[in-house]
Amino acid sequence: MRSVSGGSTSVGDGLRSVLRTRDVLALGLLGLVGGGGRRGRAVLTAIGISIGIAAIVAVVGISASSKANVLAVLDRLGTNYLTLAPGQSLTGGSAQLPAQAPGRLSLLDQVQAVATTAQLDVTVRRSDQLPATDTRGTAVLAADDGLLSTLGGEFAAGHWLDQGTTGYPTVVLGTTAARHQGVDLGRGDQLVWLGDQWFAVVGVLKAMPLAPELDNAAMISAQVAAQKFGYEGSPTTVYLRTDPRHVNAVYEVAASTADPRSPEEVEVTRPSDALEARAAADTSFTALLLGLGGVALLVGGVGIANIMVISVLERRGEIGVRRAIGASRRHIRVQFLVEALAQAGAGGLVGVALGAAITVGYDVSADWPVVLPAQGLAGGVLAALAVGGLAGLYPAGRAARLQPAEAVRQV
Amino acid sequence: MTRRMVTATPPEPGPVLELVDVGHQYPGSPPVRALDGVNLTVTAGEWVAIVGPSGSGKSTLLNLMGALSTPTSGVVRIDGHDVTRLSDGELSALRGRALGFIFQSFHLLQGLTALDNVATALLYRGEPAGERRERAARALGRVGLGQRLGHRPSHLSGGECQRVAIARALVGEPALILADEPTGNLDSRTGAEIMNLLGELHAAGATLALITHDEDIARAASRRLHVRDGRIVAEGVAV
Repeated sequence: MRSVSGGSTSVGDGLRSVLRTRDVLALGLLGLVGGGGRRGRAVLTAIGISIGIAAIVAVVGISASSKANVLAVLDRLGTNYLTLAPGQSLTGGSAQLPAQAPGRLSLLDQVQAVATTAQLDVTVRRSDQLPATDTRGTAVLAADDGLLSTLGGEFAAGHWLDQGTTGYPTVVLGTTAARHQGVDLGRGDQLVWLGDQWFAVVGVLKAMPLAPELDNAAMISAQVAAQKFGYEGSPTTVYLRTDPRHVNAVYEVAASTADPRSPEEVEVTRPSDALEARAAADTSFTALLLGLGGVALLVGGVGIANIMVISVLERRGEIGVRRAIGASRRHIRVQFLVEALAQAGAGGLVGVALGAAITVGYDVSADWPVVLPAQGLAGGVLAALAVGGLAGLYPAGRAARLQPAEAVRQV
Repeated sequence: MTRRMVTATPPEPGPVLELVDVGHQYPGSPPVRALDGVNLTVTAGEWVAIVGPSGSGKSTLLNLMGALSTPTSGVVRIDGHDVTRLSDGELSALRGRALGFIFQSFHLLQGLTALDNVATALLYRGEPAGERRERAARALGRVGLGQRLGHRPSHLSGGECQRVAIARALVGEPALILADEPTGNLDSRTGAEIMNLLGELHAAGATLALITHDEDIARAASRRLHVRDGRIVAEGVAV
């Protein structure tokens, strides 16, 4: 013990610099707002962080709102719909639904409504002057009268198929079909060339989220289809509306009811499931935007590191003075780290606010429910702090390694 | 703590600074020998001037006296602590508590007021901010800047800046105040005022070490050491 000169040099003597936590925070903020041009630089650097965080928060917020919207829409549309379509037959060809399938399905107690469509082997065009191939993807369907009431569809304009007053047979178009064919009932009666004759458009539907195949379809009545195109009553799609409490029970028996002899050739789907799955899987765009936000954040972090390295060079004198008045290497390191954290944190807060504002604005304009996930907001601030901390490590280390004698030297 | 050292040996003022056969060498090829065999003792209450032309090694000497660097050979003892035995944290604390620094270019923090610049000298002692400010205000009063507490360095004259720096050096009541060319950036009249102020502090009991190349300035000190080529070549005591 004697060799430790008098014991007065030991740590036990209390020869130790102390920096209070409050003072550390004050130092960090001082670095942020202090000294002339530094403030402007700090703001510019923090903007990079803000943009990155805003992008991330907005993406998270908007995708959450989008999902909430899908769920709200499903709630409104109902999830008690089933769709039956012919699947693959065992021999590999495409199967057919029996013409009696709708009748048999309607006998099930839990089925509230049944409707069918049948794909016809004819085309529809805006006019007979257009080439036969110019159908713009619009399918021609024979639809029964219960279709809209079964699916809860609504008209954007006009009404359902009737005898017609103009002498032409009538047709109803889905929303996409009307757009593709250039039909606007607001401009008076319109005709389309369907098969080999003119049809009068009497109605245009609104979008049908649960039966999107109807959006780009031209629907004519089964009688007209039988009369003019030899339709024999074999449906290609059967729509069921069931008791909401027994959707699954109906789902189980639907195929064997529709075609008792070969139930495996009937494909039963629940369209609301598909919508839900799509909403959940619609992440590729989100991932891309998140990636971009991450890149912006990274660039912001490099910016902070860059500016701080310069700042350390410029503030050599300050570092020297602080070392002379008792700051240890650790204190200098902590000071610069806290400055980086404060800068990034401030940028992060602005970014979170910006991202939240973008989310709210987008949701309101899209008429979606506004959803701001708390973990997204908190995550934004944390990500900014993480980037700031990493960015500050190197410059803070450089500042701490500066020799005091070197730092106070006259420049 | 610094007082404890002094009062421990009341009849004979103890040394606040001891350099024993100190040498300092800067790495390079060939290495530069900046100091060689320097022996120096500063006792409490002394005013020592270290005089020498540029390149004489006096800046190196100052760095060693201020524990801003450690010698490559020999022993530097500040306030009883052998600096080569201390960790960075202990060395930093020693600088902060036992020493006060006055620099030629003041080295004030531009973003802070005069009061906060002085209070910063107590920052690394863990004192509460209110107490630091109180002591800083008193120290600024001692150097005649009691009315300038809220001014930033950019709104102070050179002489006022150096007064702030002096207040910062003395606010912690160090065992030794080191002044490195304190008048070097000032006109002669302001420089004389600063020297008067240092004289007053010395008269009030402060221990001072002044590093300068200017013989006239050095004349104010009671004891003068001349440095040349890394050695103390002559020692003169003022009448």
